[in-house]
Amino acid sequence: MANTNNAGAEALRRLKEVDPPSLLAPNPTLSETARAASQYLFSSIRPFSQKCPLDQLLVDGYDAEQIWHQIDLQTQPLLSTLRRRVNQFVKNPDEIAQLKVPSSVAKKVEAKNHEEWEQESDDFDEELDEDDDDEDDFEGVEKEEKNGGSDGEEEDDDDDDDEEGSEDEDEDEEGEKEKGKGKDSGIEDKFLKINELNEYLEKEENNYENAEEADDGDEDSEEDDELEKAGEFEMDEDDEDDDEEEDEDDEEEEEGMENARYDDFFVGKKEKSSKRKDQLVEESEDSGDEDDMESNKQVCVCVCVYVCVCMIVKIFILKIKFSYPVFLYSFMQKKRTASTHEKQLEKIQSEIELMEKANVEPKTWSMQGEVTAANRPVDSLLAVNLDFEHNVRPTPVITEEFTASIEEMIQKRIIEGLFNDVQRAPRLPSKAPREVKELDDNKSKKGLAEMYEQEYVQKIDPTSAPLSSKDKLKNEASMLFKRLCLKLDALSHFSFAPKPVIEDMSFQTNVPALAMEEIAPVAVSDAAMLAPEEVFDGKGDVKEEAELTQAERKRRRANKKRKFKADAVKRSEKKARSEKKEDNAIPGQVNG
Amino acid sequence: MTRRYQRLKKEYLYRKSLEGKERVNYENKRKIREALQEGKPIPTELRNVEAQLRREIDLEDENTAVPRTHIDDEYAFAAEKDPKILLTTSRNPTAPLQRFVKELSIVFPNAQRMNRGNQVVSEIIESCRSHDFTDVILVHEHRGVPDGLIVSHLPYGPTAYFGLLNVVTRHEIQDKEAVKTMPEAYPHIILDNFNTKLGERTATILKYLFPVPKPDTKRIITFANKSDYISFRHHIHEKQGGPKSVTLKEIGPRFELRLYQIKLGTVDQAEAQTEWVIRPYMNTTRKRKFLSN
Repeated sequence: MANTNNAGAEALRRLKEVDPPSLLAPNPTLSETARAASQYLFSSIRPFSQKCPLDQLLVDGYDAEQIWHQIDLQTQPLLSTLRRRVNQFVKNPDEIAQLKVPSSVAKKVEAKNHEEWEQESDDFDEELDEDDDDEDDFEGVEKEEKNGGSDGEEEDDDDDDDEEGSEDEDEDEEGEKEKGKGKDSGIEDKFLKINELNEYLEKEENNYENAEEADDGDEDSEEDDELEKAGEFEMDEDDEDDDEEEDEDDEEEEEGMENARYDDFFVGKKEKSSKRKDQLVEESEDSGDEDDMESNKQVCVCVCVYVCVCMIVKIFILKIKFSYPVFLYSFMQKKRTASTHEKQLEKIQSEIELMEKANVEPKTWSMQGEVTAANRPVDSLLAVNLDFEHNVRPTPVITEEFTASIEEMIQKRIIEGLFNDVQRAPRLPSKAPREVKELDDNKSKKGLAEMYEQEYVQKIDPTSAPLSSKDKLKNEASMLFKRLCLKLDALSHFSFAPKPVIEDMSFQTNVPALAMEEIAPVAVSDAAMLAPEEVFDGKGDVKEEAELTQAERKRRRANKKRKFKADAVKRSEKKARSEKKEDNAIPGQVNG
Repeated sequence: MTRRYQRLKKEYLYRKSLEGKERVNYENKRKIREALQEGKPIPTELRNVEAQLRREIDLEDENTAVPRTHIDDEYAFAAEKDPKILLTTSRNPTAPLQRFVKELSIVFPNAQRMNRGNQVVSEIIESCRSHDFTDVILVHEHRGVPDGLIVSHLPYGPTAYFGLLNVVTRHEIQDKEAVKTMPEAYPHIILDNFNTKLGERTATILKYLFPVPKPDTKRIITFANKSDYISFRHHIHEKQGGPKSVTLKEIGPRFELRLYQIKLGTVDQAEAQTEWVIRPYMNTTRKRKFLSN
């Protein structure tokens, strides 16, 4: 036995030393060690579990599932036994005093139990059984239960432990929130000073943390939290106010404990508490399968009352160890369902709460639209970067590139010679230029007759432009050409087309054709000669004197006479006028 | 003298007021001319005036064919006479401003500088007119840094208001400069990127501050417009080396001009019509360019 015990202990020790990552890969030696360890534990617990059909943990050839099942067979009834035992302790506080473990632990356990029940459904409501025997055994059992349970789980699943621990912690929190509603601790004994209490608590927490780190890193935080929560709980429990009890009563009422009655709580405070205790005692005798949340709650209340007497720190430590196996069942029930998804949900929920809280509060001044100086703290604008829309283009910074680009442009312009200088504009004539008449001293080349000729031509036919000095050369040229053409034509036959008539007024001398023909060359045509009309202009039927009739002769004579008479009259008038002038003039002359 | 001036001003204003009608007339004549050239029927709205206008078209010469605007009136004799500029400052100028104005008086050929004393602007304009000045330039400052330039063309001409930025005076670079003296030949002018109507107007205002140069001067003054900021630069160029290489040497002050107003009257006429004014608080000003395209 001793050998096996030693071997088992050795195996257990070795298991404890194993670092968790190596557990991830299947390891035959490790599994062997684990099986040995669990066997050892099983057999050591065996004396305390009466209901277990197995004498020994059968590990050879069994797989993890089956081994676990065996462990389950042992532990389940054991757990219920333990629970019953604790309940009993709660009901009979005197028994607790007999135990080594101070009572408040049990009460704590009970408190947590109570919280569990409030949160969970009706899992716990069974089985408040009879007492157990040894307090030591109880304690040992508790411890080993915890170990066994935890080791058993370590084989399979580390997470369960953590989940259980956290659940424990959650329940603790909630219980403490409900229980310890803020009443200022008005009670300080000479025994109990709250400041000292706090200091001691913190110190012990730190110690406990350091101690626990070696064992199980995961459980540390949970336990610390539990410690803290327990601390809070303790603080509040120090107020032995009946109001507190009443508050708790109220809460429980709100949460729908149908069996609770107003009279139970509010009819007379201190009397009530004692009455309640009596009731508890009575009820505890009934116990068994009671679904009596109320009684349990009352039990918890009593528990709170007795706490202040004990050594508080040790209570915490042991309470935690105590609580584990008790809540193991609940944890296993609950935490099996909790998954990473649920954890995420919790996280999101907490975030949502934060955001909702922020939304409900009034906004910061910078989010409040138009804010004058009175509505914001002094000099707060300096800290904030405001976003303005500037409607003006920023002033240009003169960089080297900018200067270089300008100079390039200038150089280009210089090379091309493109300047935007002011151009001298031609002056608008304000007065018409005076016509300067130059007197030509030279002798006129044209004879006088020619000049008169030209003037006459101008008068008669203004279209025929006189030879102006500008066209002189032109005219010379044209004359030369005409002469040339004439000579050329002379060489050709008479039957050519006559040259185009130059509408040139020139005087035609009525030279007989023969004379013309003699001088001019053959090509001169008759057309150049004077036309008969030009020779004689008269109209109608021209008759000779011999051809005239009598009437016509008479008519001619009559016309002649008339003309002669008209002329005679004119002549006489002229004479008269000239004589008059002479008459007038002479006297003038005479006068001098 | 003043009476003559008053009369001329009235004539100018009257002709300015007729511009609208003249433009309409010009348009009609143009339409008729086109119709006649192309052989199309004359538009119906012009039938009544057609005969009269046709006669006028026949009698037109090159000067009367183009419609004359008030701008032409303002700068009518600018091309024929050399400009004569008077430079002054605001009241009680600081020493840096005085130095700057002295530099400017060398930059503008044919310019004279005058102390401001406590003269009123109307007095200044009066005296300028009687002495046949063509332009008056006022320079303003802020704590020694020149920040404003007002160019006023004198015979009832336009006034342009500029803001000065990034001013670098010759005095500031005096110690580095090798050349202490500045040539005073009539310079060539370069006006770059003045594309819009307003740009052209500004360009003429700046251009007619300078006289007609000789074609072979080495001095160059540049007004380069970039997104409504006009850069003034003053260089001397040398053609060193045959293959069309030009070396520039910058002399003279350098500053950026920013036009913010043009008024159709001289500086002393406060009620003169505004030709253009900057609108800094209009949302689209940022996107638009007024002097270029």
